[in-house]
Amino acid sequence: MSVALAVAVGGLFAVGTFLLLQRDLVRIVLGVAVVSQATFAYLIAMGGIDEGTQDLVPVLEGHGGGAPEVADPVVQALVLTAIVISFGTTALALVLSYRAYEENDTMDVTEWTE
Amino acid sequence: MSVLVIAPLLVALTTVVLTLLLGRRPRLQRATSVAGAVGYLGTVSVAVWTLVLGPGAPGAAAYQVGDWPAPFGITLVLDGLSAFMLTIAAGVGIASILFSVRYVTPENQRVYYHPLFHALLVGVTGAFLTGDLFNLFVWFEVMLIVSYVFVAFYGTGHATAASFRYLVMNVFGSALMLVAVGGLYATTGTLNMADMARRLATPDAYGIDPAPVVGLSALLLAVFALKAGLVPFQFWVPSAYTAAPAPVTAMFAGVTKKVGIYAIVRLYFTVFAAARIPVDVPGITVTSPLEFLAPVLGTMGVASIVIGGVSAVGQDRLEGVFAYSSIGQVGFIALPVAIAAAADPAGTLRGVAIAAALVFALHHALAKGLLFLSVAAVEDATKTDRLRDLGGLAGHSPLLSGAVFVGLLSLIGLPPLTGFFGKFLAFDAAVRGLASGPDTLSALALVALLLGAVLTILYATRVWVDGFWGRETAAVEVASVESGQVAVLVALAVAVVLVGVGFDPVYRFAETAATAALDGEAYVDVVGLNGGERA
Repeated sequence: MSVALAVAVGGLFAVGTFLLLQRDLVRIVLGVAVVSQATFAYLIAMGGIDEGTQDLVPVLEGHGGGAPEVADPVVQALVLTAIVISFGTTALALVLSYRAYEENDTMDVTEWTE
Repeated sequence: MSVLVIAPLLVALTTVVLTLLLGRRPRLQRATSVAGAVGYLGTVSVAVWTLVLGPGAPGAAAYQVGDWPAPFGITLVLDGLSAFMLTIAAGVGIASILFSVRYVTPENQRVYYHPLFHALLVGVTGAFLTGDLFNLFVWFEVMLIVSYVFVAFYGTGHATAASFRYLVMNVFGSALMLVAVGGLYATTGTLNMADMARRLATPDAYGIDPAPVVGLSALLLAVFALKAGLVPFQFWVPSAYTAAPAPVTAMFAGVTKKVGIYAIVRLYFTVFAAARIPVDVPGITVTSPLEFLAPVLGTMGVASIVIGGVSAVGQDRLEGVFAYSSIGQVGFIALPVAIAAAADPAGTLRGVAIAAALVFALHHALAKGLLFLSVAAVEDATKTDRLRDLGGLAGHSPLLSGAVFVGLLSLIGLPPLTGFFGKFLAFDAAVRGLASGPDTLSALALVALLLGAVLTILYATRVWVDGFWGRETAAVEVASVESGQVAVLVALAVAVVLVGVGFDPVYRFAETAATAALDGEAYVDVVGLNGGERA
């Protein structure tokens, strides 16, 4: 499991970084989104994935005991918060890229004149 | 008592909501916004006085949000360091909002200017108060999202491009911060900063291996240096500063940048300081995160001073001069911090150097706030801030020029202005560092400080000679300076003089802040973790 997660995180970071280095505005925004996703996968991995016992997940106590594999609830909460922030930021980035296109008449960031 | 800790945050948040609701009543909205800033200053003053500075004050206090005990809930901590930074934020905030009301056009003020402004204060306040690492990330994001909107505020080609670049840079920075936060959680098993400090001080007692902390702290350092605009992360500064509305630029330079510096001091000196982590990889052989911080931050500081100073001299617009000068000045704040990191933990130098950095931060907030607002007043009156189109402002509007003069002199560091003490203490820290054991960092710092001082004199003189002396240009002849704006500038100039003249209590406040920053055990006590395991 941890190898799969490591590969996923590494792959997402690579794709995200590649997209961030493009000239096209929309690709950069996609890169922003992918890099954010990479950190979420990373956070989940960092919390560790264990057998779900009642010590780890107190809510299981009244709901039928253990679960085979669960992620640390703390990092789940963190990722949830980070997803919301990332969603807002990505939406703002899309709006901004549209406005920047309107103002500068190009989707290519290297052609921006200032 | 402890509810006072969260009070500044609540005041700012309430003002955001009220100014949003009053969007259709512009006059009332403006009045509420100013009242909110006054209320913020008042609340910060009361909280700082009763909890940190006043007679019989405990020196620090914590507030457990939702009454969840630390380390499980989110803890807010108001100690000397947070108090010092909050005071700076409140001071710059009120000057900036008063100036905004007279500067930003009424149409633009209605476009969410006031709610955004107070949201910026919310983010900054939260970052200064929080005692939880992930929560620090959240407050950073609050601050940043508002900053993106402010940089794009005027919606021009320049502004949208600057904002987009700023956003992409910072989203990547935030991703790195999350990587560091996640790594620290996996390493230490906690997100609470006090709990982390305690666990890193005695890792064996908690069965953790702190080896990755140095590398993770390096990631955090990169993120915080990005926020502070230190070289090599400085390139977003000039375009973002020139694009944002001028009063907000004063906030960026005076307060938002300081959040980066604050986070470096807080995490390295309060949280990571007690950790003993031998690292031996090719090129880096250190025994603690602080030992790693010293050369890296020192190099960044030296580079910032040189690059910021040299670029400022070559600018042809007032705003550009001060934006690049801002990069150099942050170097002046970073150098004493680096010297403190290299200092012997048992000696007095560490405290002196941190206090020097804090005093310089205060000076920079006041002087640069004053200067950015002055640029706005000049631009508002003459419709230009190109040095070649300006001239003779000193004869045309003596009050405005007088305020700029005080700001420039403070930047240069003439006694008895605030800037003198900032520079004096920075030099003092470097010389003491040399005296306590000659090392390359202190020597290099001293050379950089001298060079930076000369460069500051150069660009300050150039601004004064080109813009304010000489014959009145066509743009200046027709200029009419708005008296309300000048009143704010004069008040700030008076503050620069007064803080310098009555420096003794200010220095004691800075010393209190430095002591709080260095005393990790006291921090753990305040958060309430030393009463045994609660788990």
